[in-house]
Amino acid sequence: MQVKSLQKKAAWVRNEVLDAIVKSGKSHIGGTYSATDLLVALYYGKILKFRTDQPKWKDRDRFILSKGHACTALYAIFYDLGMFSKKLYDSYGKDGGLGGQLEVYLPFIDFNTGSIGHSIGVASGMALAAKMNKKKFRVFTIIGDSELYEGSIWESIIFAGIKELNNLVVIVDRNRLMVTEEIGDDGLYKDMKTKIEKFGWNYYEFDGHDFNQILATFQKVAKSDKPNLLIANTIKGKGISFMENNVKWHNAVPSIEEITKAKQELLNEN
Amino acid sequence: MKIDPLDIRDAIFDEVYKTAKKDKNFIFIADDMDAFSLQKFKKDFPNQYINIGVAEQNMIDVASGLAACGKKVCCFGICSYVTTRCFEQIKFSVCSMNLPVTIIGIGAGFSFNFDGPTHSGLIDLAAMRLLPKMTILNPADAKSASSSISIAYNNSTPHYIRLDKGTFPKFYQSKDTQKGFKIIKTLKKQNIITTGFMTYKVAQILEDLGDKANFGLVDIFRIKPINPSFVANVLKKSQTIISIEENSVIGGLGSLISDLINQNSLVTKLKIMGVKDHQFDQFGSREWLLKQSGLDNISIKKTLLKLQND
Repeated sequence: MQVKSLQKKAAWVRNEVLDAIVKSGKSHIGGTYSATDLLVALYYGKILKFRTDQPKWKDRDRFILSKGHACTALYAIFYDLGMFSKKLYDSYGKDGGLGGQLEVYLPFIDFNTGSIGHSIGVASGMALAAKMNKKKFRVFTIIGDSELYEGSIWESIIFAGIKELNNLVVIVDRNRLMVTEEIGDDGLYKDMKTKIEKFGWNYYEFDGHDFNQILATFQKVAKSDKPNLLIANTIKGKGISFMENNVKWHNAVPSIEEITKAKQELLNEN
Repeated sequence: MKIDPLDIRDAIFDEVYKTAKKDKNFIFIADDMDAFSLQKFKKDFPNQYINIGVAEQNMIDVASGLAACGKKVCCFGICSYVTTRCFEQIKFSVCSMNLPVTIIGIGAGFSFNFDGPTHSGLIDLAAMRLLPKMTILNPADAKSASSSISIAYNNSTPHYIRLDKGTFPKFYQSKDTQKGFKIIKTLKKQNIITTGFMTYKVAQILEDLGDKANFGLVDIFRIKPINPSFVANVLKKSQTIISIEENSVIGGLGSLISDLINQNSLVTKLKIMGVKDHQFDQFGSREWLLKQSGLDNISIKKTLLKLQND
């Protein structure tokens, strides 16, 4: 898919997310919109290897959306690609239906989500299994930028570096906002490139809303000698002007007026 | 009592070795913990062995990732660290995914007495009992220890094996480990329920007391899920139960039996004997540490005789 088409697809996904949120009254819209372009690139940009009719295809790339609260974007993508039935897709927010995190009873979901700080370790185990079995699949995970505060992440970063898991791709959705406040460039993110490279990883940084940059970075890690950490600089609430860079929109549900305005902005983008 | 010369650790790791030999998808991960009988494993199956370092959270997550891709994984470390230190990882990555990950925790109870309170395994049972899908095995002898591995391997679900060290009498035969409990001494009106190391200790005490004591003795090998027949075959046949465990009085064997009595509306009396709910800061021999909770040989004898004569 060309960049223009990817942009259109992303706008469509954002619109679907908005509809789902309005219908259910449940939202993690800010972090979903920051990750939307990354998800669209993975699934429509020929980055992930998967077969839409074989959820358990053995050679598929594994993918863990560790920031599982961005799942509504993934639901829309899976529905669009025929990986979710309409009935399943429409069950979002209903009792017993699709919820605010991912579970492996759903097709094409490789690992449960909800508890953060695990996916680099789990993905490392998956990547190691691929190597042990001489399989070519790779393992991708998207984590939130505040997730790097979890200590277990750093145990796993050390492990993956030592094991030279070059089939591991970790994408950090660097939207610079956690639930209640900003995550700046000091402290955790100070000298991140140096820290990561010292642990034996490749480090890349790019604009997580620019499909040219996203695809170019994924091309770079397609053949790699080390595990890869990709900092995708994103905007929380991306695509809706009044939601962007505003902590309120971590989990706020828009009013009727806000929905109308948001829809208009997405239409213009499309 | 006649002691089986096979160390309980050798029993379990010999079985680990056999399992790895027959299945190259069987992976063993240690958190820099070793055992004499693991040397041969490391030498013969280097591709199936990982020393992941003292990083228990990562150990469990990596094990889960391996298991999600078709491996059967065994993790090994000190029981206080491979359970509560990485509890969230076990709860989320292993149990919520129902993956074939077996955790062997060595250092049950006060068996690592010299290393102090941090190394005591006193709350692991309570913690692991909370987790849906988790099977808990607490071997009392070499046979139940070795069977733990084959049971876990065949079940392909989360397992926690609580491991002691040293040599024990033979309580189990191969065929009766599946049942999960064993009547060691014929049931009487008053019956003692034990698990792991305490089974040996109490069996020895009853042997010492001879005709002065009139108790049955039952070992619980599979703490969770408890075999439902345990209720009909042991609890319902008992006037009084005395549970004795080298574990906190909260959440372990005694709590389990209390729950069963309650759930089945039984009138069976229950006396729970376990390690008191206390922040220990003392060092000493295993027997001395047990004494602080009335679980040394002399205290147990006194309590039993008093209960018998009440």
